[in-house]
Amino acid sequence: MPRAHDFDYDAMLAKIKDRQWALADIDWDAPGADAVTDEQRPRLKEFMADLVWIENVGARGFAALAGKAPTPVLREIYTYFHAEEQRHANAELALMRRWGMLEDDEVPEPNINVRLAIEWLDRWSDDMSLAVLGTVIPMLEVALDGALLKFLLDEVHDPVCHRVFDKINADESRHLAVDFQVLDLLGHAPARRLLISTVGTVARPTVLLGALMYVPLLNRMRDNIVAMGLDERRLYTAMSRFTRVGERSPATRRLPSYQILKRHAAIVIDRGHPYHHFADFMVKASARYPRRLLRPTPSWARELTHEPVAR
Amino acid sequence: MTTHATLIVGAGFAGLGTAIRLRQAGIEDFVILERAGEVGGTWRDNTYPGAACDIPSLLYSFSFAQNPDWSRTYSGGAEILGYIRAMVERFGLRDRIRLRTEVTGLAFDEAAGTWTATTAGGGEFTARTAVMAAGPLANASLPDIRGRDSYTGHMIHSARWDHGHDLTGKRVAVIGTGASAVQIVPELVGRAASVKVFQRTPGWVLPRLDRRTPAWSRALFRRSPAAQTAARQAWFWGHESMALGLVWDTVFTTAVAKAARLHLRRQVRDPWLRRQLTPHFRPGCKRMLMTSDYYPALQRDDCKLITWPIVSLSPAGVRTADGIEHEVDCIVFATGFDVGKTGTPFPIRGVGGRPLAEQWARGAQAYKSVNVAGHPNLFFTFGPNSGPGHNSALVYMESQIDYAVRAIRLILDRDLLALEVTRAAQERFNRRIQRRLARTTWNSGCTSWYLTDDGHNATMYPGFATQYARQLARLDLADYRVISRQTEEVTT
Repeated sequence: MPRAHDFDYDAMLAKIKDRQWALADIDWDAPGADAVTDEQRPRLKEFMADLVWIENVGARGFAALAGKAPTPVLREIYTYFHAEEQRHANAELALMRRWGMLEDDEVPEPNINVRLAIEWLDRWSDDMSLAVLGTVIPMLEVALDGALLKFLLDEVHDPVCHRVFDKINADESRHLAVDFQVLDLLGHAPARRLLISTVGTVARPTVLLGALMYVPLLNRMRDNIVAMGLDERRLYTAMSRFTRVGERSPATRRLPSYQILKRHAAIVIDRGHPYHHFADFMVKASARYPRRLLRPTPSWARELTHEPVAR
Repeated sequence: MTTHATLIVGAGFAGLGTAIRLRQAGIEDFVILERAGEVGGTWRDNTYPGAACDIPSLLYSFSFAQNPDWSRTYSGGAEILGYIRAMVERFGLRDRIRLRTEVTGLAFDEAAGTWTATTAGGGEFTARTAVMAAGPLANASLPDIRGRDSYTGHMIHSARWDHGHDLTGKRVAVIGTGASAVQIVPELVGRAASVKVFQRTPGWVLPRLDRRTPAWSRALFRRSPAAQTAARQAWFWGHESMALGLVWDTVFTTAVAKAARLHLRRQVRDPWLRRQLTPHFRPGCKRMLMTSDYYPALQRDDCKLITWPIVSLSPAGVRTADGIEHEVDCIVFATGFDVGKTGTPFPIRGVGGRPLAEQWARGAQAYKSVNVAGHPNLFFTFGPNSGPGHNSALVYMESQIDYAVRAIRLILDRDLLALEVTRAAQERFNRRIQRRLARTTWNSGCTSWYLTDDGHNATMYPGFATQYARQLARLDLADYRVISRQTEEVTT
C-alpha cells in the first residue's frame, strides 16, 4: 500500500465524481423480483432494514468526518461519501420495495441498537476526533457492510439486486481506500500527540457511551445473521479484513484507536471469549431500553426515500 | 476623427459618476461607451425578484448626487436603477452616452498619447485619456455542472432574469446560496409550487433590518442636505467599524460569528438544518449575507434545502449524489459573476502594444488600484485590490473617480503626452498590499471569488475605507513618469 503522502486525493476525488450513479439508472421493474421466496421475505425484510439503517448511520459518520477533514479536498471526498452512503440506503430501500416488503412510502423502523447509535451520532459524533471517527467508520464498513452484502448476494438471486450491489461495492472499495489512507496519515503524527489525543479521548464519557452502543450493535447483527441461516464466520472474516488491511501500514499500527478496535475485533471473533456474555447481555438489556427515553428521530434520519425521482 | 479629452467604458455607477465629476471639474469633452441598450450596469442586469443592495441606500449612493427620497433603508434594485437613470437626466449626460456600443479593444498610441477604442460595430473612438468603468460584476457565470446542456426545462441566470417566464406554480431549483440566492429564494417560495435550494457552501448570515423610510425623514433630507450627509456619515462609520471583524481576523470576527450563530439559532429550530447552514470558515472570508427572510423561507413546507453534492443535470432536472433525481420545471442559477482577476474584459494594449492580460495572467496588479504601469493616461475603477468587504462600494468608487479626474485635469492642463505610473512604484505598492492581505480574513483559508485559482488576492483592499480614500486623496507625481507634449520627459 502506498504511503499516505503518496496518495493522490485529487485523483481520488475526480474518480469519485466520475463514478457517480443514480437510482434512476436502474430498472427497478426488471424481471427477477420473484427470486425472493415467501419463505425468505420476512427475515430478509428485517435484514435489509438493518442494512438500510447501517448505511444511514455510516452516512452521518461521514458527515462528522467532513467537519474534521484537514484539507478541502478530503472534506469534499467525505461530503461525497456522506451522500453515497445515503444513496446506498436509498437503493436498498428501493430493493425492499421491489420485493414487496414496503407499503407505499413506508420506511422500516430501525431496531433499538440502531436507534441508540443514531442518537449517539446525532449528539456526539461532531465532537469526536478524526482518529476515533476515522477508525470506527472503516470497521463498520468492513464488518457490517462487507459481511451483510456478501451474504445477501449468496442468498438472493435477483439480478437487479446483484447489479445494485456491484455499484455499492465499487463505491465502498473507494471508501475503504480513503479510510485506510487517512488512518495511515494520522499514524504519522508524533508519538507525543498520539498519546495526548488518546488519553483525552479515552477519558471522555461520550466515548465510553459510544462503546456501550457499539458492543451490542455488533452482536445484534451477528444474531440477525445467524437467524438468517448464515454462518457467523462470515462476519468474522469480514472483521478480520479490517486488521489485515490495517496491519499493512506501520503508521496505522501506531494509532491507539486502531489498536483498540483491532483487539476488540479479535475478541468478537473469538466466540468462546467471556466478552460475549457481556455483549449478549447488552443486546438483551438494550432490547429493554425504555423507548420513551429515546429522543425524537433527528431529521437527517428521516431523509431516506426509495423513489428514484423526487417530483 | 475627433480626439476627445476622455472616453469612458461603461455606463453603470462608475462610468456615470466619472462623467458627473468630469463635468464638475470643467471637462466637457467626453464620451461614454455602453454595450447595452440602457444605462445602469449591475442594476440594469440584476432585476431578479427581490434584488436589493445590502448596503443602506443613504450610503449606497453618490455623496455628490444625494437622493432624499429613498423609500426604504435598503432600497430595491428597481429604485436604485431609477436613481441611476435620474442622474443621467439631472446631470445632462444623455447625449454623451453611446448605447449599444460594445468596446472590443482598447489600444494606446505612444506617439500621439491617445487611447483608441474599437467597437463591435466597427467604429473607433479616440481620446487623450480613458477610464475603464466596465464593472467587476458585468459577466454572469454559469457553474461547470456535468450535463448542463442536457436539461430540457427552462434555465435562468439571476443576473439575466427572464421576466417573460412566469414561475408561478412551477417546480423550481435554485442553484447557489450566495448574495443573490438569499434574496431570490424568499421571493420564489410561496409563488412557485416548490423550491429546492441546492447549497454547496453555506454563508454567514446577519439579519437585515429593512424599514420603510418615514415621511418626516424624507422631508428633513429634502430641506436639509446637511442632515442627510450626517445620516450618511453615521452609516459610514457604522460600516467602517465592521472592518475590525470582517477585514482582519480578530476577536471581532468571533463576535460576528457569534451574532450570526445567534441569528441562525433564533430562526432555525431543527439542529440538523442548523448544522447544514453553519459555515465552516471565518466570517468575512466570503461575502457576508444580509437577510432576515432567507431562513424562514427555507423552512416552509414548499421549500427544501438540499446539501448533497450536485452530480449532474439530466433532461428532467438535477441529480444529486444521494442517487436521487430532482425533477423541476425551471433551474435558477444564482451562481454569481466571472470577476476578472487575471484578464481584462477585452484586449487592452498599452506601451509597446503588449496586451495587459499577459501582464495580469497570474493575478491582476495596479498602483492604488487605479493605474497600471505601461498604460499611461488610463484609469481603472474597481481595478485590482479595490474591493470593500465591509463598506459601500460607492465610497471606494468616489475616491477612484476623484483621483482619475484630478489626473485627467493635470494631463489636460499641462498638456501631457503621458502620465504613467512607474513600475517601481507599482511593485512597491503591491508588495505592501500583499503583505497586508496575508493577515486578512479573505486569505484565511476558504475559497471564494476574491481569490485566483492559485490563491492570489487581486480583488480586495486590506484596510478601512478611510485608509483607501486617504491614499487616493493625493496624486503623488514622484510615482509617475510625466511626459509633456512640447518637451521631452519632465522630471518631477
